[in-house]
Amino acid sequence: MTLLDRLLDPFRGEAITIPPYDGAWKPNTLLETAAKVATLAQADNLARDGDGAVWLSGGPVLYRLAGRDVEPVATFPSAITALAALPAGGLVVVLSDGGLLLRRGKESRDLREAFPAAVSATALFAGDDGTLLVAQGSAGLPATEWVPALMRKRRDGALWRLDLSGGKAERIADGLAFPTGLALDESGAPVVAEAFAHRLVALGGGRPRTVLDRIPGYPGKLSPARGGGWWLAVFAPRNRLIELVLREDRFRADMIATVPQDHWIAPALRSGESFLEPLQRGGVRTMGVRKPWAPARSYGLVARLDAQFRPVESLHSRADGRRHGAVCVLDLPESRLVAFKGAGEVVDILNREPQA
Amino acid sequence: MTQTRGGRPRASLPQHTEPARMTLREKLTRLRYNKVPDHLLGEILSKSWADNLVPFAFLLVVVAAFGLLLPGFFAPSSLLDTTRQLGEFLIVVLGLTVVIIGGGIDLSVGSIFALAAFATLAVIYIAEGPVWLALLAALGAGALFGALNGFLVGYLRLRAFLTTLVTLIIGRSLYDILITTWGARIQSSPVFNDTFDHIGMGAVWGQPISALIALAFALVAHLVMSRSRIGWHFTAVGGARRSAFNVGINVRRTIFLTYVISGAACGLAGFLFAARLSGVGPGTGLGLELAALTAAVVGGNSLGGGRGSIAKGLMGAVVVLLITNGLIRMGAGTGTSQLIVGLLLAAAIVLDVRWLKNRHKVLSEVYVAPLHHAMQPAQSALPGSGTAYALNDALASAEPIALGTVEGPEDVILDADDNLYAGTRHGQIVRWFAPDYTRSEVFAHIGGFPLGLAMGRDGEIVSCVGAMGLYGVAKDGDVRELSTETQRSLFSVVDDARLRDPNDCDIGPDGRIWFTDSTTRYDAHDWALDSIESRPTGRLLVHDPKTGRTRTVLKNLRYANGVCLSHDGQSLLIAESWACSVHRYWIAGPKEGRLETVIRDMPGYPDNINRASDGTYWMAWLGMRTPSFDMALRHPAMRKRMTRNLPQDDWLFPNINTGGVVKFDETGAIVATLGDLGGAAHPMVTSMREHKGWLYIGGILNNRIGRIRLPDADPEWTSWNSYWGDRA
Repeated sequence: MTLLDRLLDPFRGEAITIPPYDGAWKPNTLLETAAKVATLAQADNLARDGDGAVWLSGGPVLYRLAGRDVEPVATFPSAITALAALPAGGLVVVLSDGGLLLRRGKESRDLREAFPAAVSATALFAGDDGTLLVAQGSAGLPATEWVPALMRKRRDGALWRLDLSGGKAERIADGLAFPTGLALDESGAPVVAEAFAHRLVALGGGRPRTVLDRIPGYPGKLSPARGGGWWLAVFAPRNRLIELVLREDRFRADMIATVPQDHWIAPALRSGESFLEPLQRGGVRTMGVRKPWAPARSYGLVARLDAQFRPVESLHSRADGRRHGAVCVLDLPESRLVAFKGAGEVVDILNREPQA
Repeated sequence: MTQTRGGRPRASLPQHTEPARMTLREKLTRLRYNKVPDHLLGEILSKSWADNLVPFAFLLVVVAAFGLLLPGFFAPSSLLDTTRQLGEFLIVVLGLTVVIIGGGIDLSVGSIFALAAFATLAVIYIAEGPVWLALLAALGAGALFGALNGFLVGYLRLRAFLTTLVTLIIGRSLYDILITTWGARIQSSPVFNDTFDHIGMGAVWGQPISALIALAFALVAHLVMSRSRIGWHFTAVGGARRSAFNVGINVRRTIFLTYVISGAACGLAGFLFAARLSGVGPGTGLGLELAALTAAVVGGNSLGGGRGSIAKGLMGAVVVLLITNGLIRMGAGTGTSQLIVGLLLAAAIVLDVRWLKNRHKVLSEVYVAPLHHAMQPAQSALPGSGTAYALNDALASAEPIALGTVEGPEDVILDADDNLYAGTRHGQIVRWFAPDYTRSEVFAHIGGFPLGLAMGRDGEIVSCVGAMGLYGVAKDGDVRELSTETQRSLFSVVDDARLRDPNDCDIGPDGRIWFTDSTTRYDAHDWALDSIESRPTGRLLVHDPKTGRTRTVLKNLRYANGVCLSHDGQSLLIAESWACSVHRYWIAGPKEGRLETVIRDMPGYPDNINRASDGTYWMAWLGMRTPSFDMALRHPAMRKRMTRNLPQDDWLFPNINTGGVVKFDETGAIVATLGDLGGAAHPMVTSMREHKGWLYIGGILNNRIGRIRLPDADPEWTSWNSYWGDRA
């Protein structure tokens, strides 16, 4: 923003731009044609423990995948927002009300006390050294309320490190823009996906370093890819109208105060169901067609990143598709599962739908 | 809204009361956006004379600057001398302007000017001929030289720049030879010609003769360029040479003529110059081409051709002359004033190119001028909400007609033989044959976008054709124009005599056709942008086929849309789309001329209204209200920034992906609703027509017509019978 730009902008208007879907982000319909594994309302987290069992969560219920069936295992008082399998065995379940439960048979316990206040976590990463990285989206709002957090422009997320053998949790980073995914870079430093800043940041001592910028959406959970690299789930797209609304303070305040949340001009995990939702000109159905590149509030996108967090390939479900709101990817020996919270499905992107 | 009838305004409807809880800030916003006429800026910029505003402003700046810097500059005596120079210079500039508008350029104007001046003096002082012969000689010399240019550029198709550069050199060389040979004889000639001297130095009514001649020339040139066929041909050839050729214009002859005109103009100017100075020298006309070119370009004529006018040339000539003379008076040497004129030319060219490329962008950014409008809360239309408006999926199973082969059937109508007619976005009215509607033919090609349809007593289909007007199609497919204009309001900047978005029509019992023009600010293809503005410019008009006159009856409606004659023929039901209301306008009886609201604050935007068989009415909903759009209507600044900073595809719209059909009775009570919530078959509905127990559904953005069975409806009822049959 040079001085000349600042002087001229009141006269010529300031265009709002978003990064294009280009290069490795080039759109396709691979998510639409992936084979469905299970229908699960609010399908959210995926994890695989040391014994090879696949755990899923949907709302407040924990499930285990057996073949193509999901068996409910336990129900919790509030929604499950993150799952992690520990290398030493056991499963960590995070609830949106701040509960952090370690399920390891007889050693199951609640780890909530290790934190100074209730932490509604958005992501977990179990390190090999018995520590657990916990990402907290916002200090004031639970993890499930990312839309209000975005509309209120909250930048108070944090990253905690918890020693599972006892002791207090230590906050290692503060002021993050809603961290939703955790990984480690090659030197072992934690890498955080800052959803509201659309980037991945490495937090290894000293200053934070951006490792991937200009993601064309809101990045979510990161999970390791077999053969190196990472899978990133992008749960909502960037949209120029929403970027405009984020800059319009009075309009946004009025909207938050008077309009029901489902009908805000805000990103969503699923859209197009109610006629009360906002519509943009490009989204108008013309001659029976809703164009795939229409501006949208929801989108389906997962991407594979290499070990240096550069995008290598991506799979999409475009504006005219139904598999939107991908929140988690799990790379398994025989399949690759993606959980869609928006569409309420778990699919396998290594296999295609049988052509009926 | 206001009504006018016979010129006397009647009492208007009470305005919808705004919600009491508007904060002070919102009240101020409302005042600023509703009272300050931002829309005028866009309307002025879209006028054809908008281009002249920049050079005119520049002219005012120059006049003001020199008026302040040189106190005596505008004193009558110095002004007289400036005007005398202006006369000759202006004629040359206007000739050059004609050539530039025609797409060429004439660099030899200086040489022709000098040669013509010489010819004049030769006749007066050597041949001792009369003044009229001298004038003829000057014009002849100029026209001949211009014809040479025109022949080379127009007929031989040589490049204008190089060719006129060469003729400039040839002309100047010829002139040098002539004055070295004959110059002394002219200087020493004993002839005195009073008429000649009077033309040069005299004045009529206080103005120099040369200036008067120049102004007369300018007037004639302006009339020819803007209002005569040959003037339009010049502009056409300059703007799009290949298209002009394809249309049948003789391009070569047209170009030839521009150079002849330029030459003749230089001839006239040379004559006046010779009359003023009674002598010529080696420096006569030297550098005139630079000054004339600068004047033409600074005035705003585009060097590429096709865009320009005599007015622009006039303003440019005045500016350049004032600047040159002013600089000399201020003591700048010839070099300095040349430098400044050169810089001016460079700046004018850069601005011209930028303006040409960006004008439409500026216009699209500046044109949308949103208002503040607070919508009243509406009942819910969600399925299962239990209200009268609750939608359903009844239209999802509608039987499709012409699926995938029709594009944009905004309205549908059926004739006595049950054949189905609909307008399409190709400008046609297509007929599908009963009983299965699989075979079709183009019934009539009108152009534009045929929207609302109505059928007269004789079976003639009357159609509101978007961007054109009201047209009638006889039963044999013959198209005739009924009305394309109404009366123009006195104080409207945009020409509202034009019918930009005629939408729906209906025929009264006396044969008069009542129809709506939805908006005066947008054309039919841009109709949805009117929703972002929410400006009430829609109108109801009436056309009388007996007199052929059209009159505006109601104004200031927020997107006037559907029109339907009530069952008793005494009133019209009118849909006001963005106000989500239905009004009744009485056309007969004791309440004639009165307007009342029948339904207000619906959760959907109404489109066409048509009669139903049981004494009630069908209304189409083209879209649904959304809380975010209703909120945006209260934030005009946000909408303005949205239209400036976002591409059109991203703009927030009313939800026209969901619509429906609503049935209501004479009191405005809702009887039934039909919808397609999934949007697969009939996302938005713009019209519906009941015919013999079926309801036919149209949509302006749809690729099909649908029909559903109405099990409780009269199986013999048709719209035509209802209007014109025995039971009417």
